[in-house]
Parts: sequence; C-alpha cells; structure tokens
Amino acid sequence: MTARSAAGEAARREGVGARSLARQLAGIVGPRNVVVDPAELLVYECDGLTHGRVCPELVVLPGSTEEVAAVVRVARDANVPLVPRGAGTGLSGGARPVPGCAVVSLSRMRRILALDLENGWARVEPGVINLDVTRAVAGDGFYYAPDPSSQSVCSIGGNVAENSGGAHCLKYGFTTNHVLAARVVLSDGAVVDLGGPAPDAPGYDLLAALVGSEGMLGVVTEVTVRLLRKPETTRTFFATFPSTDEAGAAVSGIIAAGILPAAIEMMDRLAIVAAKAATGLDWPDVGAALLMDADGPRAEVEHVSARAIEIARAAGALEVRVPRDEAERQLMWKGRKSAFAAVGRISPSYLVEDGVIPRSEIARVLRDIARLADEAGLRVANVFHAGDGNLHPLVLYDARVPGEEERAARLGGEILRLCIRYGGSITGEHGVGAEKAAYMAEQFGPDDLDTMQRVRCAFDGAALMNPGKVFPTPRLCGEKPGPYRPHPAEVAGLAERW
Amino acid sequence: MSGVRAPVDGDAVLGLSPRVALEPASLDEAADAMRALARDRAAVTFVGGGTDLELGAPPARLDAVLHTRRLDRVREHAPADQIVAVEAGMTVAALQRHLAPHGQRLALDPPHPERATVGGVVAANAFGPRRTRFGTVRDLVIGVTIVRADGVVARGGGKVVKNVAGFDLPRLLCGSLGSLGLLAEVVFRLHPLPEASATVAVPGLAPAEVRALARAALDARLDPVAMAALQEGDRFRLAIRFEGFGPGVHEQAERLLALDARGERIEGADEAALWARHDALRLAGDVRAKAAFPPAALEGAVRALEPVVATLAAGALVLHPALGIAFVAGTLSRAEATGRAIAAARPALRPGNGSLVLAAAPAALRAVADPWGDPPPAVEVMRRLKRELDPDGRLAPGRLAGGI
Ligand SMILES: Cc1cc2nc3c(=O)[nH]c(=O)nc-3n(C[C@H](O)[C@H](O)[C@H](O)COP(=O)(O)OP(=O)(O)OC[C@H]3O[C@@H](n4cnc5c(N)ncnc54)[C@H](O)[C@@H]3O)c2cc1C
Ligand SMILES: Cc1cc2nc3c(=O)[nH]c(=O)nc-3n(C[C@H](O)[C@H](O)[C@H](O)COP(=O)(O)OP(=O)(O)OC[C@H]3O[C@@H](n4cnc5c(N)ncnc54)[C@H](O)[C@@H]3O)c2cc1C
Repeated sequence: MTARSAAGEAARREGVGARSLARQLAGIVGPRNVVVDPAELLVYECDGLTHGRVCPELVVLPGSTEEVAAVVRVARDANVPLVPRGAGTGLSGGARPVPGCAVVSLSRMRRILALDLENGWARVEPGVINLDVTRAVAGDGFYYAPDPSSQSVCSIGGNVAENSGGAHCLKYGFTTNHVLAARVVLSDGAVVDLGGPAPDAPGYDLLAALVGSEGMLGVVTEVTVRLLRKPETTRTFFATFPSTDEAGAAVSGIIAAGILPAAIEMMDRLAIVAAKAATGLDWPDVGAALLMDADGPRAEVEHVSARAIEIARAAGALEVRVPRDEAERQLMWKGRKSAFAAVGRISPSYLVEDGVIPRSEIARVLRDIARLADEAGLRVANVFHAGDGNLHPLVLYDARVPGEEERAARLGGEILRLCIRYGGSITGEHGVGAEKAAYMAEQFGPDDLDTMQRVRCAFDGAALMNPGKVFPTPRLCGEKPGPYRPHPAEVAGLAERW
Repeated sequence: MSGVRAPVDGDAVLGLSPRVALEPASLDEAADAMRALARDRAAVTFVGGGTDLELGAPPARLDAVLHTRRLDRVREHAPADQIVAVEAGMTVAALQRHLAPHGQRLALDPPHPERATVGGVVAANAFGPRRTRFGTVRDLVIGVTIVRADGVVARGGGKVVKNVAGFDLPRLLCGSLGSLGLLAEVVFRLHPLPEASATVAVPGLAPAEVRALARAALDARLDPVAMAALQEGDRFRLAIRFEGFGPGVHEQAERLLALDARGERIEGADEAALWARHDALRLAGDVRAKAAFPPAALEGAVRALEPVVATLAAGALVLHPALGIAFVAGTLSRAEATGRAIAAARPALRPGNGSLVLAAAPAALRAVADPWGDPPPAVEVMRRLKRELDPDGRLAPGRLAGGI
C-alpha cells in the first residue's frame, strides 16, 4: 500500500468529517479558498436551474492545475465525490451538488495563458469567461466562434463540459469543433494532456470524449481553443411572417438553395412580444420572425444575402428589415439574445427547454407544442436556432398558483418526448445534467448507455467526478462482463462453427 | 451462419493470413458474426475497401477478417435535413453518386473514393484537400451504430446535427482503426454541392513563400475550401481552391491573383486534373508518411522531412499549409537510411505535439521504424478505454499507437 492510500485508509477508519477534510484542503489552497460557511454555501446549491437545490459539504477554489490535482487526491482518499463548477450558468443542473460532495469551483483560474495568432489558438484557464477570449484578440481581427447567449458570463471550462453551442454554430460548429487541446486532472490525481496545437495526435481522440462529458471524466484545468479571423463581411436581415409555418418554409427554402447561413434564428409571437418589452425594439406584432446572418467574403455574402431575402419573400414574409449600420444590427441581435430573460417580463416564472428536431419538421412540431400547451392550460414562447432545429420552448407559468409548476414541468417533459418521436434529441446544447438523466433512457437503449458508461470507467473508475449525472442508472466500473449470452440462432443450432 | 467463407490470398493483413473471412450483409448478421467471434475468442480485423490496411502496425493476432463490402446501402437520406445514414461498407463514390442528384455531397474527399468505404474512412480518419474548409470526419459525423467486441449493438449520437445527449461516441470512434468496435452504420451531415469552383495555382514557391501566401489569403479574409502545395523539384506549386456561388468564387479568385502576380487561374477539366495530381503525388510509391505540426512551423517541418524524402526514390512532399499537415510519398530504396531519417525528424516535429506517422511502409522499413513513434501522452487512459470496450484484446490488437 502506498503512503497516500494508507493515510486514506486510516482517515476513513477514523471517519473523517467535513472539518478535517476542509483542513486538509485548506492546506492545499489556503483557508480563504475553502468555503464551509452555510450562508456562503447557498450560492453553490444550484446552477442556472434554481430548483432541486443540494447543499455541498464544502466548496474548494483551487488556483492551479497542481492544486486541483492535490485536491482530487485528498477527495479520493476520503471518498468524497467532486462536482466541478464553472460560472454556474448551466441549465441542466450539471453543476448541482450531490449530497456529501465537495464542489470544485474553477472561478479563480481565469488567466489567459498564451495567445498564438500565427497558429490561431489561445490557451486559457477554465474559469476564463467565453467573451473574454474574443475580447483579448478582437483588436487583431480574431475571435472565438462558439457564442452561447450566456457568453458574457459562462466559462470556457463549462463550455467544454457542455459542448456549448450558440447561434453561429450552424456554420461554425460547436465547442467540440474549436477545442485543440486540454489538460485534465483525472480522479486518480493524474494530470493528462489531450491533443495539441498540431492536428491529428496519434491514438484515440480522447478530446472528443472529453468535450460534452459534463464534468464526469475529470477536472479540466487548461483549454487550448481555436481562434478564427473575423469574417470580412456580415449581412443581417430580420423578416416577419404571419405564422411560424411561413417562417419554417423560409428556413427550409434557404437551406435548399444551397445557402449555409452563419446563423438563422426564429422567434414566435410570444417571444417577439417579450423581446420588445425588454429592449424597446420597434418590432411589429406578428406571428413569427427570422433573424439571419450571412458572413464571409464580400461578393459571396452579398449574393447569398440577396438570394435569402428573395426566398423569405417568396415564402410569405410580411416585411424584411436590413439594419442600416452595425449599431442597429447589434440591437437586433440583442433582441434575440435577451429573449430568454425577456420572457420574465410577461410571466412570473418560466422554464427553459432545449430539444432538437429535424429542421424540416419545425412547423409541425411547433403546432404540436402549441396543442400540448393548450391541453396543459399554459403558454409556451419559442425562440430558437432554426437552422439546426434546436428548439428552446419557454414554458410560462406562475409558481404561486398551486399545481402550475408541476404542470409546467410535465409539459416540458412532453416536449422532450416529442423531440425524441421526431427522431431528434433531448438536448442540443444545455446538456443532460441532473435534470434530464431520466429521459436518456428514452432516447438511448441500455446497450448505448452501457457503452458510454464504459468510456467514463476508462477515465474515472472510482466514479468520483460529478456522479449521478447524465445516466439514469450508474454502472459500476470493473463489473465483470456478464456471462456470454448465446444468440437464439446459436441455441437453435443454426450458427456454424469454424 | 451466412456470410462465412474460407480465406483467400487477398484477405491477408500486413502479411498475416486469417483462418476465416466473414462478409455480413446486414446489421443483424454483423452482430451474429461478432458474437460468434467472441465465443471463439477469435482476433478480428475489419476491412472496408482495403485501401488503408497498411496504416498502423500489423495486428498482433489475426484469426478472422470481417469485410464490410456487403453492408453497402443508404439507410436514410433526408435531403431537407441534410443528413444521410449509410451502412459502413458503402464506398464514398457510391454515396456521392446517391447524393449528387439532390444537389448535396459529403464534404469529404479522401483518396480512392471508388474503393474507400465510409466505415474505413471514419476508422482511418482519412481526408482530402477540402479538410481546409470542412474539417475531418469528426466534423461531419453525427451518429454511429457499432457492434462491440462482445457482439452488442450500440448507438451514439443521432440523426440531428446538434445533439449533446450523452458522451460523444461518434467522434471518439474517428481514427480508432477498428480497435474499439465494428462501425456498422454512420450518420453524416451533408453540404450543398457548390454552384461554381475555381483554383488559383502559384508555381515556384519556397516553403516560406507557401506559408506566407497561404497566410496572406487568410488575412485577406478569403475563404478557400482547399490549399495544397505540390513539390516540383525544389520548389512548390501552391493551389488554392474556391467553391460556392459564381460571384463569390470569381471575386475570391481575382483577389488572390492580385496577391501574387505569378498565379494562374484554373477551371474545368484542368482544375480536376490538378487536384488529381495532388492525390497521385500524395499516394505515389510504397512509403507514405503524414507529418502534423502547428501551421506556422511549416518551414521547420519541411527541413525535418527533406532528409526523409532524400532517402526515397522519386520522393516528394505535399504541404497543406492551413492545416499544418505534410505528406511524404516515395519508393523505398534504403530502409536503414529512411528509418534513421524518420527517427531524426520526429523530435524536430514534436513541439506543439506534432507527429510523424507512417501510413504505408514495406516490411523492411517497418523493421527499423515504428509506424507511430513514441506513445501518446495519455496512453494509459487509451489502454483503459481499449480494455473497457475490448477486454480480451481481440479487435485489431497492437495496431494503434502505444501498442494498443
Ligand atoms: C441566459 C442563459 C443563456 C444561455 N444560452 C446558452 C446558449 O445559447 N448555448 C449554450 O450552449 N448554452 C447556453 N446556456 C447554458 C450555459 O451557459 C452553458 O451550458 C455554459 O457552458 C455553462 O458554463 P458555466 O461556466 O456556467 O458552467 P457550470 O454551469 O458551472 O457547469 C456546467 C457543467 O460543466 C461542468 N464543469 C464546469 N467547469 C468544469 C471544468 N473546469 N472541468 C470539468 N467540468 C466542468 C460542471 O460540472 C457542469 O456539469 C445559457 C444559460 C443561460 C443562463
Ligand atoms: C495506398 C493508400 C494510401 C493512403 N494513405 C493515406 C494517408 O496517408 N492518409 C489518409 O488520410 N488516407 C490515406 N489513404 C486514404 C484511404 O482512402 C482511406 O484511409 C480509406 O478511405 C479507408 O477506407 P477503406 O474502406 O479502404 O478502409 P480499409 O483500408 O479497409 O481500412 C482502413 C482501417 O479501418 C478499419 N476499418 C475499415 N472498415 C471498418 C469498419 N466498418 N469498422 C471499423 N473499422 C474499420 C480497418 O481495420 C483498417 O484499420 C490511403 C489510401 C491508399 C490506397
């Protein structure tokens, strides 16, 4: 037995309490960076989803990879689960604590470590805010492409864990397409480097598994992200329609014409009302609106943008507005990006869903959602990434009315089932987290989930990292594969041997 | 069980002959075959078009080969959603022929599309010049159905482009060379076929000029789909391709010509011939290696690779300056010297996690040079992943980096 695990054994025998753990962690990160005060722990009880709060045992805020590794070793020896946390803006309860856990907050690790514009990358600590990467290089004409609506507050570490997307991922891809390398602390305290600035590192693409793994494979302590040159030209237009049917037809028409918009976003009547209330934009009261960006070299963009406007008109657009200048364009986008929060202006409470359907089914699915909402006696506002069929139904309710919250949650669940029925997904960008784990078993079969869990076992055999998330039922690592199950054909003696 | 036959000469993999060859014609048959192999504890290597079986080390054990050529159907094509689900044994060219009438393509242009299968392309992470704009397989695959070593059929991803439910099995399987499971079905996102195409070629460039011109094109905010420099003597011809709508392609080609007066605009059959020459140069001879490096290290990479090229007969380089990739191709004449040159080049390429991988090499070269180089930094996790999915080490054992 090594000295370390011997100490762990001894500690376990004595029944180490939270205080002793806190003392050990304070020895690593300094007393100021361990939070045990119940009042201070409150903010860590949830992420962007404020229900289902769980109080962690404590919160530790390491300042370096070495400190993270030391923290992980102590936690492992004490058998204390760890829940990594970035900015806490997640919308699936991914950073929600589990009973008895230590939250590892990466919010102190927010340095930009290196910029290499020649090779197009930035190496950052995980607590760096998404938009700050772009800010650091915008002066040189570069940017970081993934642009979640929360980009001014969410962290790169959180983005990596959730494989976050944004309005512009239709053309540019998601976080996974923009991460070149990562440094990760595994549950055994080992520090591993995956990928690098050079492409095609030999071996398995473990980075692919890491991105989107929701904090279950390890604590990410450094990320190298790709930087892109800002496109030469961007053309934006805002088009209104009588209903989401015509808007949906316009989206399909634009895609069918061979156009790849940089972004194409849809809002329905309720979302437009909300955005107007929040921003004072002079948008008309219509059934639906589209906001589209085309970007790239000048002539290509002018051509594409003009063509898309023609298609929108032919599909039944009531009005097409082209912003006069960048300020007006920014305002249009502000209307779109603030739509979630804006819904707060027209409803005391609301629930944000996130599901994906095949793009060509948008109009039908929106009608199905409206029907489900009617049946539940609730309103649903829709504001979403139309180009990739990523819906964000906002279920409006009043928590003060008895039973309404439960009805809203049920409606949210029905909408997810609708997405599965249409061949889509229960999440396009917010992740599964604690919130949707139960639905995983509806989208995937047991063998699919078992295969994913084996990936987790390869990284975290101890199941120390963010346990209980994503999967409806955990799998113990090192489980002996079950006895060989003969196929019926073999039992019937049909299979030949050789 | 159907689809079982005695092996023939062509079934050998890097000199090893199997005891049995399997040719399942459906997912169910593939699962049956894998279960039967599990029961017999047989080691198996998967074969698609057989174009890239030389990539990697020889398998440590080989009892069976499983051909995917009869798994060759399009399962679902939803043109309006720009996705296609296809069985792994369909060739890339056959898939493109299916998609073209709908004005769509899989934006992947690996060599030998008539023989290369989609499963092989995913497993080998194969790519062509359009990687510059569209990325690799990993940027295009959105779902997979695999048959695991134990015969269990598992799916990952799905049929929609945007999807973060569960771990990303589709991307994890890219480049896994059939060592984690049989890819039975793959779902891809598709792109529109372009309306127009033009290439500007600039001859007579030194490596530093290749890098400078590639960079100038990007700094000018042009958006090429491909950039590749073909070696001609001790100089390079840099070809930069634009695709899209007519006006955009025209404007970009003109602006590139304005950047370098030596440029020549090439379209139509000449353009196709130029890119065919790229493929031919990349695949010439019996030794092929791929070097990867941060793009700004291009000149250093060329300096490191030139001694390797010099040991080969008719050796040449193909550079992809925007990607940080260089291909070495030629015919082996002095294995010892080539082996030494490779060993010397590897450390020079290492900064920035660069690498030099042998994609094809005769046995004489394999005897003196490891196809992968040093084990990757995270090799322990890779070994554990292999053990989780293939506990008995029966799927192409030993082929991957680090002896996995
Ligand atoms: C108003 C609003 C709008 C939003 N819009 C979008 C959008 O457009 N697109 C989108 O994709 N998302 C969106 N989100 C969701 C959220 O912002 C993203 O999921 C974001 O990536 C979470 O980052 P975070 O730093 O807040 O992470 P957290 O919420 O703190 O954590 C998220 C997950 O990441 C894990 N994690 C965090 N840091 C690390 C690390 N260093 N190592 C390992 N695991 C880690 C946590 O354990 C947790 O599972 C929105 C949220 C809000 C509130
Ligand atoms: C001589 C030659 C050299 C080449 N060099 C390169 C190069 O350097 N770089 C490059 O990117 N491309 C290269 N290629 C491109 C080549 O076209 C691809 O690698 C090829 O497309 C793979 O497809 P395939 O069907 O021929 O696969 P195969 O050659 O049959 O198999 C390739 C690998 O994938 C595995 N495999 C095949 N099918 C499956 C499946 N369904 N499930 C799981 N595993 C499977 C095999 O076991 C094998 O390890 C080369 C091709 C040739 C002919």
